[in-house]
Amino acid sequence: MIKLINISKIYPPNIAALRKINLHIKPGEFVSIVGQSGTGKTTLVKTLIGEEKVSGGKIIIGGWDITNIGRREVPFLRRQIGVVFQDFKLLDKKTLFENVAFALQVCGQTAKKIRNIVPHVLKIVGLEGKMKRYPYEISGGEQQRVVIARALVHRPKILLADEPTGNLDSINAEEIIELLQKINKFGTTIVLVTHNREAVNRLRKRVITLDKGTVSGDQAVGKYIL
Amino acid sequence: MFLLSFFRVIKFSFQDIGRNIWLSVITITILILALFSVNMLLTVNMISNSAIEAVKEKIDVILYLKEDAEEDKAAALKIKISNLSQVKEVSYISKAEALKSFKLKHRDNPEILEALRELGKNPLTPSLVIKPQNADDYQALMDSLSGIDDDIIESRNFDDHKSMLEKINSITDKISEVGVFISFIFVLITLLLVYNSIRVAIYTHRREIKIMRLVGASNWFIRAPFLFSSIIYTLAGILSIIIIYYFFLSLLQPYLETFFIGYDINLLTYFKDNFVFIFGLQFIISLIVNVVASLFAVGKYSKV
Ligand SMILES: Nc1ncnc2c1ncn2[C@@H]1O[C@H](COP(=O)(O)OP(=O)(O)O)[C@@H](O)[C@H]1O
Ligand SMILES: [Mg+2]
Repeated sequence: MIKLINISKIYPPNIAALRKINLHIKPGEFVSIVGQSGTGKTTLVKTLIGEEKVSGGKIIIGGWDITNIGRREVPFLRRQIGVVFQDFKLLDKKTLFENVAFALQVCGQTAKKIRNIVPHVLKIVGLEGKMKRYPYEISGGEQQRVVIARALVHRPKILLADEPTGNLDSINAEEIIELLQKINKFGTTIVLVTHNREAVNRLRKRVITLDKGTVSGDQAVGKYIL
Repeated sequence: MFLLSFFRVIKFSFQDIGRNIWLSVITITILILALFSVNMLLTVNMISNSAIEAVKEKIDVILYLKEDAEEDKAAALKIKISNLSQVKEVSYISKAEALKSFKLKHRDNPEILEALRELGKNPLTPSLVIKPQNADDYQALMDSLSGIDDDIIESRNFDDHKSMLEKINSITDKISEVGVFISFIFVLITLLLVYNSIRVAIYTHRREIKIMRLVGASNWFIRAPFLFSSIIYTLAGILSIIIIYYFFLSLLQPYLETFFIGYDINLLTYFKDNFVFIFGLQFIISLIVNVVASLFAVGKYSKV
Protein backbone atom coordinates (compact mmCIF):
# COMPACT_ATOMS: atom_id res chain seq x y z
CA MET A 1 0.00 0.00 0.00
CA ILE A 2 2.78 2.44 0.97
CA LYS A 3 6.31 1.97 -0.31
CA LEU A 4 9.12 4.27 0.65
CA ILE A 5 12.34 3.60 -1.23
CA ASN A 6 15.45 5.33 0.02
CA ILE A 7 13.69 8.60 0.72
CA SER A 8 15.46 11.54 2.21
CA LYS A 9 14.31 15.04 2.93
CA ILE A 10 16.56 18.02 3.39
CA TYR A 11 14.97 21.30 4.44
CA PRO A 12 16.81 24.40 3.38
CA PRO A 13 19.50 25.30 4.18
CA ASN A 14 20.68 21.80 5.09
CA ILE A 15 18.51 20.26 7.78
CA ALA A 16 18.34 16.55 7.06
CA ALA A 17 14.91 15.55 8.42
CA LEU A 18 14.79 12.12 6.74
CA ARG A 19 17.81 10.04 5.68
CA LYS A 20 17.44 7.11 3.32
CA ILE A 21 14.27 5.63 4.76
CA ASN A 22 13.00 2.33 3.38
CA LEU A 23 9.58 1.15 4.46
CA HIS A 24 6.86 -1.07 3.15
CA ILE A 25 3.40 -0.89 4.69
CA LYS A 26 0.89 -3.47 3.49
CA PRO A 27 -2.83 -2.89 2.90
CA GLY A 28 -4.84 -3.16 6.10
CA GLU A 29 -1.86 -2.79 8.41
CA PHE A 30 -1.93 -0.77 11.61
CA VAL A 31 1.49 0.81 12.01
CA SER A 32 2.67 3.01 14.84
CA ILE A 33 5.55 5.38 14.26
CA VAL A 34 7.38 6.51 17.37
CA GLY A 35 10.50 8.51 18.06
CA GLN A 36 11.76 11.55 19.87
CA SER A 37 10.55 14.89 18.71
CA GLY A 38 12.45 16.37 15.82
CA THR A 39 13.26 12.98 14.30
CA GLY A 40 11.19 13.51 11.18
CA LYS A 41 7.86 11.81 11.93
CA THR A 42 5.71 14.72 10.83
CA THR A 43 7.94 15.26 7.82
CA LEU A 44 7.35 11.64 6.86
CA VAL A 45 3.57 12.12 7.07
CA LYS A 46 3.79 15.31 5.00
CA THR A 47 5.71 13.59 2.22
CA LEU A 48 3.00 10.92 2.08
CA ILE A 49 0.29 13.49 1.30
CA GLY A 50 2.36 15.51 -1.15
CA GLU A 51 2.71 18.46 1.19
CA GLU A 52 6.49 18.15 1.14
CA LYS A 53 8.52 16.90 -1.78
CA VAL A 54 11.29 14.45 -0.97
CA SER A 55 14.88 15.37 -1.79
CA GLY A 56 15.71 11.85 -2.91
CA GLY A 57 14.15 8.40 -3.23
CA LYS A 58 10.75 7.25 -4.34
CA ILE A 59 7.27 7.10 -2.78
CA ILE A 60 4.65 4.75 -4.14
CA ILE A 61 1.13 4.72 -2.73
CA GLY A 62 -1.33 2.09 -3.94
CA GLY A 63 0.82 1.60 -7.04
CA TRP A 64 0.90 5.33 -7.77
CA ASP A 65 4.34 6.93 -7.86
CA ILE A 66 3.76 10.23 -6.11
CA THR A 67 7.42 11.21 -5.81
CA ASN A 68 7.08 14.06 -8.28
CA ILE A 69 3.36 14.57 -7.98
CA GLY A 70 2.06 17.69 -9.72
CA ARG A 71 0.06 20.37 -7.97
CA ARG A 72 -3.06 19.43 -9.87
CA GLU A 73 -2.84 15.80 -8.81
CA VAL A 74 -2.37 16.47 -5.10
CA PRO A 75 -6.12 16.90 -4.42
CA PHE A 76 -6.77 13.44 -5.88
CA LEU A 77 -4.12 11.95 -3.62
CA ARG A 78 -5.62 13.70 -0.60
CA ARG A 79 -9.05 12.24 -1.35
CA GLN A 80 -7.53 8.78 -1.00
CA ILE A 81 -5.67 9.46 2.23
CA GLY A 82 -7.38 10.68 5.36
CA VAL A 83 -5.23 12.83 7.62
CA VAL A 84 -5.55 13.82 11.26
CA PHE A 85 -3.08 16.32 12.68
CA GLN A 86 -2.80 17.44 16.22
CA ASP A 87 -3.45 21.03 15.18
CA PHE A 88 -5.81 20.23 12.36
CA LYS A 89 -8.88 21.75 13.94
CA LEU A 90 -12.58 22.17 13.43
CA LEU A 91 -14.29 25.36 12.31
CA ASP A 92 -15.83 27.01 15.37
CA LYS A 93 -18.79 28.57 13.62
CA LYS A 94 -20.01 25.37 12.04
CA THR A 95 -21.88 22.52 13.70
CA LEU A 96 -20.34 19.07 13.77
CA PHE A 97 -22.49 18.12 10.80
CA GLU A 98 -21.40 21.22 8.88
CA ASN A 99 -17.76 20.64 9.74
CA VAL A 100 -17.82 17.19 8.25
CA ALA A 101 -20.03 18.30 5.36
CA PHE A 102 -17.52 21.06 4.54
CA ALA A 103 -14.95 18.46 3.47
CA LEU A 104 -17.43 17.08 0.97
CA GLN A 105 -18.75 20.43 -0.23
CA VAL A 106 -15.34 21.74 -1.15
CA CYS A 107 -14.74 18.63 -3.21
CA GLY A 108 -17.90 19.19 -5.20
CA GLN A 109 -20.15 16.54 -3.68
CA THR A 110 -23.90 16.89 -4.08
CA ALA A 111 -26.11 17.82 -1.16
CA LYS A 112 -27.78 14.44 -1.39
CA LYS A 113 -24.52 12.54 -1.00
CA ILE A 114 -23.53 14.81 1.83
CA ARG A 115 -26.75 14.01 3.66
CA ASN A 116 -25.96 10.31 3.33
CA ILE A 117 -22.26 10.27 4.13
CA VAL A 118 -22.04 12.72 7.04
CA PRO A 119 -24.37 10.90 9.47
CA HIS A 120 -22.69 7.66 8.47
CA VAL A 121 -19.16 8.76 9.40
CA LEU A 122 -20.37 10.54 12.53
CA LYS A 123 -21.98 7.27 13.53
CA ILE A 124 -18.69 5.43 13.06
CA VAL A 125 -17.03 7.80 15.53
CA GLY A 126 -20.01 7.56 17.91
CA LEU A 127 -21.28 11.12 17.59
CA GLU A 128 -24.45 10.59 15.60
CA GLY A 129 -26.49 12.13 18.43
CA LYS A 130 -24.50 15.38 18.56
CA MET A 131 -24.53 16.44 14.93
CA LYS A 132 -26.14 19.81 15.60
CA ARG A 133 -23.72 20.83 18.34
CA TYR A 134 -20.90 23.32 17.91
CA PRO A 135 -17.26 22.37 18.63
CA TYR A 136 -17.19 24.34 21.89
CA GLU A 137 -20.13 22.30 23.14
CA ILE A 138 -18.23 19.01 23.11
CA SER A 139 -15.09 17.63 24.77
CA GLY A 140 -11.60 17.61 23.31
CA GLY A 141 -11.80 13.87 22.74
CA GLU A 142 -15.08 14.29 20.91
CA GLN A 143 -13.62 17.08 18.81
CA GLN A 144 -10.78 14.82 17.77
CA ARG A 145 -13.33 12.16 16.82
CA VAL A 146 -15.10 14.68 14.59
CA VAL A 147 -11.76 15.40 12.96
CA ILE A 148 -11.37 11.68 12.33
CA ALA A 149 -14.90 11.49 10.95
CA ARG A 150 -14.04 14.31 8.59
CA ALA A 151 -10.94 12.41 7.47
CA LEU A 152 -13.16 9.46 6.58
CA VAL A 153 -15.63 11.18 4.26
CA HIS A 154 -13.86 10.11 1.09
CA ARG A 155 -13.63 6.50 2.36
CA PRO A 156 -9.84 6.61 2.28
CA LYS A 157 -7.77 3.44 2.00
CA ILE A 158 -5.19 5.01 4.29
CA LEU A 159 -5.63 7.07 7.43
CA LEU A 160 -2.63 9.03 8.70
CA ALA A 161 -2.88 10.27 12.27
CA ASP A 162 -0.07 12.52 13.52
CA GLU A 163 -0.22 12.58 17.33
CA PRO A 164 -4.01 12.51 17.44
CA THR A 165 -3.96 12.03 21.20
CA GLY A 166 -1.36 14.70 21.88
CA ASN A 167 -3.73 17.07 23.64
CA LEU A 168 -5.97 14.50 25.31
CA ASP A 169 -6.05 12.91 28.73
CA SER A 170 -5.43 9.17 28.94
CA ILE A 171 -9.08 8.09 28.89
CA ASN A 172 -9.90 10.17 25.86
CA ALA A 173 -6.65 9.10 24.22
CA GLU A 174 -7.55 5.47 24.74
CA GLU A 175 -10.91 6.00 23.12
CA ILE A 176 -9.27 7.55 20.09
CA ILE A 177 -6.91 4.60 19.73
CA GLU A 178 -9.87 2.24 20.01
CA LEU A 179 -11.64 4.18 17.30
CA LEU A 180 -8.61 3.88 15.05
CA GLN A 181 -8.58 0.14 15.66
CA LYS A 182 -12.24 -0.04 14.73
CA ILE A 183 -11.56 1.85 11.48
CA ASN A 184 -8.64 -0.48 10.84
CA LYS A 185 -11.01 -3.46 11.17
CA PHE A 186 -13.04 -2.05 8.24
CA GLY A 187 -9.87 -2.54 6.17
CA THR A 188 -8.36 0.95 6.29
CA THR A 189 -4.59 1.06 6.59
CA ILE A 190 -3.66 3.11 9.66
CA VAL A 191 -0.42 4.97 10.23
CA LEU A 192 -0.34 6.36 13.75
CA VAL A 193 2.39 8.74 14.87
CA THR A 194 2.37 8.92 18.63
CA HIS A 195 4.17 9.60 21.87
CA ASN A 196 1.70 7.52 23.83
CA ARG A 197 3.74 4.70 25.32
CA GLU A 198 0.87 2.74 26.92
CA ALA A 199 -1.22 2.92 23.77
CA VAL A 200 1.56 1.54 21.61
CA ASN A 201 2.36 -1.23 24.03
CA ARG A 202 -1.28 -2.26 24.38
CA LEU A 203 -1.89 -2.25 20.61
CA ARG A 204 0.56 -5.10 20.00
CA LYS A 205 0.93 -4.08 16.37
CA ARG A 206 3.87 -3.13 14.16
CA VAL A 207 6.02 -0.33 15.59
CA ILE A 208 8.53 1.68 13.56
CA THR A 209 11.00 3.75 15.53
CA LEU A 210 12.62 6.79 13.95
CA ASP A 211 15.85 8.26 15.20
CA LYS A 212 17.43 11.39 13.72
CA GLY A 213 15.71 10.80 10.41
CA THR A 214 16.52 7.10 10.06
CA VAL A 215 14.59 3.95 10.89
CA SER A 216 16.21 2.58 14.04
CA GLY A 217 13.66 -0.11 14.79
CA ASP A 218 10.86 -1.99 13.00
CA GLN A 219 9.12 -4.73 14.95
CA ALA A 220 6.06 -6.72 13.91
CA VAL A 221 4.67 -6.75 17.44
CA GLY A 222 6.48 -3.82 18.82
CA LYS A 223 6.97 -1.99 22.04
CA TYR A 224 7.61 1.64 22.66
CA ILE A 225 11.30 1.65 23.37
CA LEU A 226 13.22 4.88 23.66
CA MET B 1 -21.17 19.18 -10.38
CA PHE B 2 -19.37 22.16 -11.89
CA LEU B 3 -22.41 24.31 -11.37
CA LEU B 4 -22.68 23.12 -7.79
CA SER B 5 -19.07 24.10 -7.12
CA PHE B 6 -19.63 27.36 -8.89
CA PHE B 7 -22.50 28.28 -6.58
CA ARG B 8 -20.46 27.27 -3.55
CA VAL B 9 -17.59 29.44 -4.75
CA ILE B 10 -19.96 32.39 -5.01
CA LYS B 11 -21.30 31.68 -1.56
CA PHE B 12 -17.84 31.44 -0.02
CA SER B 13 -16.85 34.61 -1.80
CA PHE B 14 -19.75 36.57 -0.32
CA GLN B 15 -18.80 35.15 3.08
CA ASP B 16 -15.27 36.54 2.58
CA ILE B 17 -16.59 39.96 1.78
CA GLY B 18 -19.01 39.86 4.68
CA ARG B 19 -16.43 38.79 7.20
CA ASN B 20 -14.11 41.62 6.28
CA ILE B 21 -16.87 44.03 5.51
CA TRP B 22 -15.00 47.23 6.39
CA LEU B 23 -11.98 46.32 4.40
CA SER B 24 -14.26 45.49 1.50
CA VAL B 25 -16.01 48.84 1.82
CA ILE B 26 -12.69 50.71 1.87
CA THR B 27 -11.45 48.78 -1.14
CA ILE B 28 -14.56 49.55 -3.12
CA THR B 29 -14.42 53.20 -2.03
CA ILE B 30 -10.88 53.61 -3.32
CA LEU B 31 -11.87 51.90 -6.52
CA ILE B 32 -14.69 54.42 -6.85
CA LEU B 33 -12.27 57.31 -6.27
CA ALA B 34 -9.96 55.91 -8.92
CA LEU B 35 -12.81 55.61 -11.37
CA PHE B 36 -14.05 59.06 -10.45
CA SER B 37 -10.70 60.62 -11.26
CA VAL B 38 -10.58 58.76 -14.55
CA ASN B 39 -14.03 60.02 -15.47
CA MET B 40 -13.12 63.53 -14.38
CA LEU B 41 -10.20 63.38 -16.73
CA LEU B 42 -12.48 62.28 -19.49
CA THR B 43 -14.92 65.07 -18.71
CA VAL B 44 -12.26 67.75 -18.64
CA ASN B 45 -10.94 66.52 -21.94
CA MET B 46 -14.37 66.54 -23.42
CA ILE B 47 -15.12 70.05 -22.18
CA SER B 48 -11.81 71.45 -23.34
CA ASN B 49 -12.18 69.84 -26.74
CA SER B 50 -15.58 71.41 -27.12
CA ALA B 51 -14.17 74.73 -25.94
CA ILE B 52 -11.36 74.58 -28.45
CA GLU B 53 -13.72 73.60 -31.22
CA ALA B 54 -15.99 76.44 -30.25
CA VAL B 55 -13.16 78.94 -30.29
CA LYS B 56 -11.87 77.62 -33.59
CA GLU B 57 -15.33 77.87 -35.12
CA LYS B 58 -15.43 81.50 -34.12
CA ILE B 59 -12.08 82.56 -35.32
CA ASP B 60 -12.47 83.66 -38.84
CA VAL B 61 -9.44 85.49 -39.92
CA ILE B 62 -10.28 88.98 -40.99
CA LEU B 63 -8.23 91.13 -43.33
CA TYR B 64 -9.29 94.76 -43.00
CA LEU B 65 -8.98 96.66 -46.24
CA LYS B 66 -8.33 100.31 -46.77
CA GLU B 67 -11.41 102.45 -46.56
CA ASP B 68 -11.16 103.47 -50.19
CA ALA B 69 -10.19 100.07 -51.55
CA GLU B 70 -11.81 99.50 -54.93
CA GLU B 71 -14.19 96.63 -55.28
CA ASP B 72 -12.40 94.99 -58.23
CA LYS B 73 -9.06 95.12 -56.45
CA ALA B 74 -10.70 93.54 -53.45
CA ALA B 75 -12.24 90.88 -55.71
CA ALA B 76 -8.80 90.09 -57.16
CA LEU B 77 -7.35 89.76 -53.67
CA LYS B 78 -10.25 87.53 -52.68
CA ILE B 79 -9.50 85.14 -55.55
CA LYS B 80 -5.83 85.14 -54.70
CA ILE B 81 -6.60 84.18 -51.10
CA SER B 82 -9.18 81.60 -52.11
CA ASN B 83 -6.45 79.80 -54.00
CA LEU B 84 -4.44 79.24 -50.83
CA SER B 85 -4.65 75.60 -49.82
CA GLN B 86 -5.39 76.40 -46.16
CA VAL B 87 -8.43 78.47 -47.04
CA LYS B 88 -11.91 77.12 -47.18
CA GLU B 89 -13.92 80.17 -47.98
CA VAL B 90 -13.42 83.88 -48.39
CA SER B 91 -16.19 86.41 -48.27
CA TYR B 92 -16.05 90.09 -49.00
CA ILE B 93 -17.78 92.42 -46.62
CA SER B 94 -18.34 95.85 -48.07
CA LYS B 95 -18.47 99.02 -46.02
CA ALA B 96 -22.27 99.03 -46.17
CA GLU B 97 -22.56 95.41 -45.16
CA ALA B 98 -20.15 95.95 -42.32
CA LEU B 99 -22.26 98.79 -41.05
CA LYS B 100 -25.41 96.77 -41.33
CA SER B 101 -24.08 93.89 -39.27
CA PHE B 102 -22.52 96.31 -36.82
CA LYS B 103 -25.91 97.91 -36.25
CA LEU B 104 -27.52 94.51 -35.91
CA LYS B 105 -24.95 93.39 -33.39
CA HIS B 106 -25.42 96.50 -31.28
CA ARG B 107 -29.16 96.90 -31.73
CA ASP B 108 -29.67 96.68 -27.98
CA ASN B 109 -27.11 99.32 -27.25
CA PRO B 110 -28.59 102.76 -27.95
CA GLU B 111 -25.45 104.62 -26.86
CA ILE B 112 -23.32 103.05 -29.54
CA LEU B 113 -25.98 103.57 -32.15
CA GLU B 114 -26.32 107.20 -31.07
CA ALA B 115 -22.56 107.72 -31.35
CA LEU B 116 -22.65 106.24 -34.82
CA ARG B 117 -25.40 108.61 -35.87
CA GLU B 118 -23.51 111.61 -34.52
CA LEU B 119 -20.49 110.58 -36.53
CA GLY B 120 -22.60 111.13 -39.64
CA LYS B 121 -20.69 108.75 -41.90
CA ASN B 122 -19.80 105.10 -42.13
CA PRO B 123 -16.62 104.65 -40.13
CA LEU B 124 -16.18 100.98 -40.95
CA THR B 125 -13.77 99.54 -43.43
CA PRO B 126 -14.46 96.80 -45.95
CA SER B 127 -12.94 93.45 -45.07
CA LEU B 128 -12.25 89.91 -46.25
CA VAL B 129 -13.46 87.20 -43.88
CA ILE B 130 -11.46 84.04 -44.29
CA LYS B 131 -12.54 80.64 -43.02
CA PRO B 132 -9.68 78.22 -42.58
CA GLN B 133 -9.88 74.83 -44.23
CA ASN B 134 -8.79 73.17 -41.03
CA ALA B 135 -8.63 75.00 -37.75
CA ASP B 136 -5.52 73.07 -36.80
CA ASP B 137 -3.26 74.55 -39.47
CA TYR B 138 -4.15 78.00 -38.37
CA GLN B 139 -0.50 78.84 -38.10
CA ALA B 140 0.17 77.89 -41.72
CA LEU B 141 -2.73 80.07 -42.82
CA MET B 142 -1.30 83.04 -40.91
CA ASP B 143 2.06 82.51 -42.53
CA SER B 144 0.57 82.35 -46.00
CA LEU B 145 -1.53 85.43 -45.40
CA SER B 146 1.46 87.34 -44.12
CA GLY B 147 3.18 86.50 -47.40
CA ILE B 148 0.51 88.23 -49.45
CA ASP B 149 1.31 91.84 -50.08
CA ASP B 150 -1.27 94.15 -51.47
CA ASP B 151 -1.53 97.85 -50.85
CA ILE B 152 -5.27 97.72 -50.24
CA ILE B 153 -4.67 95.72 -47.04
CA GLU B 154 -5.10 98.00 -44.08
CA SER B 155 -4.22 95.62 -41.29
CA ARG B 156 -3.89 91.96 -40.50
CA ASN B 157 -4.29 91.59 -36.85
CA PHE B 158 -4.67 88.03 -35.82
CA ASP B 159 -2.22 87.53 -33.03
CA ASP B 160 -4.71 87.44 -30.18
CA HIS B 161 -6.54 84.49 -31.75
CA LYS B 162 -3.38 82.53 -31.70
CA SER B 163 -2.54 83.32 -28.11
CA MET B 164 -6.06 82.45 -27.03
CA LEU B 165 -5.86 79.04 -28.64
CA GLU B 166 -2.46 78.49 -27.11
CA LYS B 167 -3.80 79.43 -23.70
CA ILE B 168 -6.69 76.98 -23.88
CA ASN B 169 -4.38 74.28 -25.13
CA SER B 170 -1.87 74.80 -22.38
CA ILE B 171 -4.54 74.86 -19.66
CA THR B 172 -6.17 71.68 -20.86
CA ASP B 173 -2.80 70.00 -21.33
CA LYS B 174 -1.95 70.81 -17.74
CA ILE B 175 -5.30 69.56 -16.46
CA SER B 176 -4.84 66.37 -18.43
CA GLU B 177 -1.35 65.87 -17.04
CA VAL B 178 -2.54 66.31 -13.47
CA GLY B 179 -5.54 64.10 -14.19
CA VAL B 180 -3.41 61.32 -15.61
CA PHE B 181 -1.12 61.56 -12.62
CA ILE B 182 -3.99 61.43 -10.10
CA SER B 183 -5.68 58.57 -11.93
CA PHE B 184 -2.42 56.69 -12.01
CA ILE B 185 -1.94 57.14 -8.26
CA PHE B 186 -5.47 55.93 -7.59
CA VAL B 187 -5.02 52.91 -9.83
CA LEU B 188 -1.86 52.07 -7.91
CA ILE B 189 -3.62 52.48 -4.56
CA THR B 190 -6.47 50.32 -5.83
CA LEU B 191 -4.02 47.64 -6.85
CA LEU B 192 -2.39 47.65 -3.42
CA LEU B 193 -5.69 47.72 -1.57
CA VAL B 194 -7.23 44.88 -3.52
CA TYR B 195 -4.06 42.92 -2.97
CA ASN B 196 -4.25 43.64 0.74
CA SER B 197 -7.96 42.87 1.02
CA ILE B 198 -7.48 39.51 -0.59
CA ARG B 199 -4.47 38.87 1.61
CA VAL B 200 -6.51 39.62 4.73
CA ALA B 201 -9.40 37.55 3.43
CA ILE B 202 -7.03 34.65 2.96
CA TYR B 203 -5.60 35.20 6.41
CA THR B 204 -9.03 35.12 8.06
CA HIS B 205 -9.77 31.95 6.13
CA ARG B 206 -6.47 30.24 6.76
CA ARG B 207 -7.99 27.42 8.75
CA GLU B 208 -10.63 26.74 6.12
CA ILE B 209 -7.98 26.82 3.42
CA LYS B 210 -5.81 24.37 5.32
CA ILE B 211 -8.76 22.04 5.80
CA MET B 212 -9.72 22.37 2.14
CA ARG B 213 -6.20 21.46 1.08
CA LEU B 214 -6.00 18.47 3.38
CA VAL B 215 -9.36 17.03 2.42
CA GLY B 216 -8.51 17.32 -1.27
CA ALA B 217 -10.31 20.40 -2.55
CA SER B 218 -8.93 21.44 -5.93
CA ASN B 219 -6.69 24.47 -6.19
CA TRP B 220 -9.31 26.03 -8.37
CA PHE B 221 -11.92 25.67 -5.68
CA ILE B 222 -9.65 27.15 -3.02
CA ARG B 223 -8.64 30.15 -5.10
CA ALA B 224 -11.80 30.89 -7.00
CA PRO B 225 -13.70 32.53 -4.13
CA PHE B 226 -10.96 35.13 -3.69
CA LEU B 227 -10.81 35.87 -7.40
CA PHE B 228 -14.55 36.06 -7.41
CA SER B 229 -14.44 38.56 -4.55
CA SER B 230 -12.28 40.81 -6.66
CA ILE B 231 -14.82 40.57 -9.47
CA ILE B 232 -17.52 41.58 -7.01
CA TYR B 233 -15.39 44.55 -5.91
CA THR B 234 -15.08 45.58 -9.53
CA LEU B 235 -18.79 45.25 -10.20
CA ALA B 236 -19.69 47.18 -7.06
CA GLY B 237 -17.20 49.90 -7.96
CA ILE B 238 -18.42 50.29 -11.53
CA LEU B 239 -22.09 50.30 -10.58
CA SER B 240 -21.45 52.91 -7.90
CA ILE B 241 -19.42 55.13 -10.20
CA ILE B 242 -22.12 55.02 -12.86
CA ILE B 243 -24.70 56.21 -10.37
CA ILE B 244 -22.41 58.74 -8.68
CA TYR B 245 -21.09 60.13 -11.92
CA TYR B 246 -24.46 60.60 -13.52
CA PHE B 247 -25.54 62.42 -10.42
CA PHE B 248 -22.39 64.55 -10.55
CA LEU B 249 -22.89 65.32 -14.23
CA SER B 250 -26.48 66.39 -13.79
CA LEU B 251 -25.26 68.82 -11.12
CA LEU B 252 -22.50 70.09 -13.39
CA GLN B 253 -24.55 70.43 -16.55
CA PRO B 254 -26.42 73.67 -15.68
CA TYR B 255 -23.14 75.44 -14.86
CA LEU B 256 -21.63 74.28 -18.11
CA GLU B 257 -24.62 75.50 -20.01
CA THR B 258 -24.37 78.99 -18.58
CA PHE B 259 -20.65 79.01 -19.17
CA PHE B 260 -20.84 77.83 -22.76
CA ILE B 261 -23.95 79.69 -23.81
CA GLY B 262 -24.88 78.95 -27.37
CA TYR B 263 -22.60 75.96 -27.72
CA ASP B 264 -23.85 72.46 -27.84
CA ILE B 265 -22.11 70.86 -24.92
CA ASN B 266 -24.01 68.15 -23.14
CA LEU B 267 -21.99 65.86 -20.94
CA LEU B 268 -24.92 63.68 -19.94
CA THR B 269 -25.72 62.93 -23.56
CA TYR B 270 -22.07 62.40 -24.26
CA PHE B 271 -21.78 59.83 -21.46
CA LYS B 272 -25.07 58.23 -22.42
CA ASP B 273 -24.11 57.91 -26.07
CA ASN B 274 -20.76 56.40 -25.22
CA PHE B 275 -21.97 54.46 -22.19
CA VAL B 276 -20.87 51.02 -23.28
CA PHE B 277 -17.50 52.23 -24.45
CA ILE B 278 -16.70 54.44 -21.45
CA PHE B 279 -17.91 52.22 -18.64
CA GLY B 280 -17.26 48.95 -20.44
CA LEU B 281 -13.64 49.92 -20.90
CA GLN B 282 -13.38 51.04 -17.28
CA PHE B 283 -14.94 47.77 -16.15
CA ILE B 284 -12.51 45.71 -18.17
CA ILE B 285 -9.49 47.69 -17.00
CA SER B 286 -10.50 47.63 -13.31
CA LEU B 287 -11.29 43.95 -13.64
CA ILE B 288 -7.82 43.30 -15.00
CA VAL B 289 -6.22 45.39 -12.25
CA ASN B 290 -8.23 43.67 -9.52
CA VAL B 291 -7.84 40.16 -10.81
CA VAL B 292 -4.11 40.64 -11.25
CA ALA B 293 -3.83 41.98 -7.69
CA SER B 294 -5.81 39.11 -6.23
CA LEU B 295 -3.96 36.54 -8.34
CA PHE B 296 -0.73 37.80 -6.82
CA ALA B 297 -2.19 37.70 -3.30
CA VAL B 298 -3.67 34.25 -3.76
CA GLY B 299 -0.49 32.93 -5.32
CA LYS B 300 1.55 34.24 -2.47
CA TYR B 301 -0.64 33.58 0.55
CA SER B 302 -2.96 30.67 -0.13
CA LYS B 303 -0.32 27.98 0.20
CA VAL B 304 -1.27 27.46 3.86
N1 LIG C 1 9.38 23.52 7.24
C1 LIG C 1 10.56 23.21 7.81
N2 LIG C 1 11.65 23.92 7.49
C2 LIG C 1 12.85 23.63 8.04
N3 LIG C 1 13.04 22.64 8.91
C3 LIG C 1 12.00 21.89 9.29
C4 LIG C 1 10.70 22.14 8.76
N4 LIG C 1 9.83 21.25 9.30
C5 LIG C 1 10.57 20.48 10.12
N5 LIG C 1 11.86 20.87 10.12
C6 LIG C 1 12.97 20.23 10.86
O1 LIG C 1 13.02 18.89 10.46
C7 LIG C 1 13.26 18.06 11.56
C8 LIG C 1 12.16 17.04 11.71
O2 LIG C 1 10.95 17.70 12.06
P1 LIG C 1 9.58 16.94 12.25
O3 LIG C 1 9.35 16.11 11.06
O4 LIG C 1 8.54 17.94 12.60
O5 LIG C 1 9.86 16.02 13.51
P2 LIG C 1 8.86 15.27 14.51
O6 LIG C 1 7.50 15.30 13.90
O7 LIG C 1 9.42 13.91 14.62
O8 LIG C 1 8.93 15.99 15.80
C9 LIG C 1 13.40 18.97 12.76
O9 LIG C 1 14.78 19.20 12.97
C10 LIG C 1 12.71 20.22 12.33
O10 LIG C 1 13.29 21.34 12.95
MG1 LIG D 1 5.65 16.05 14.73
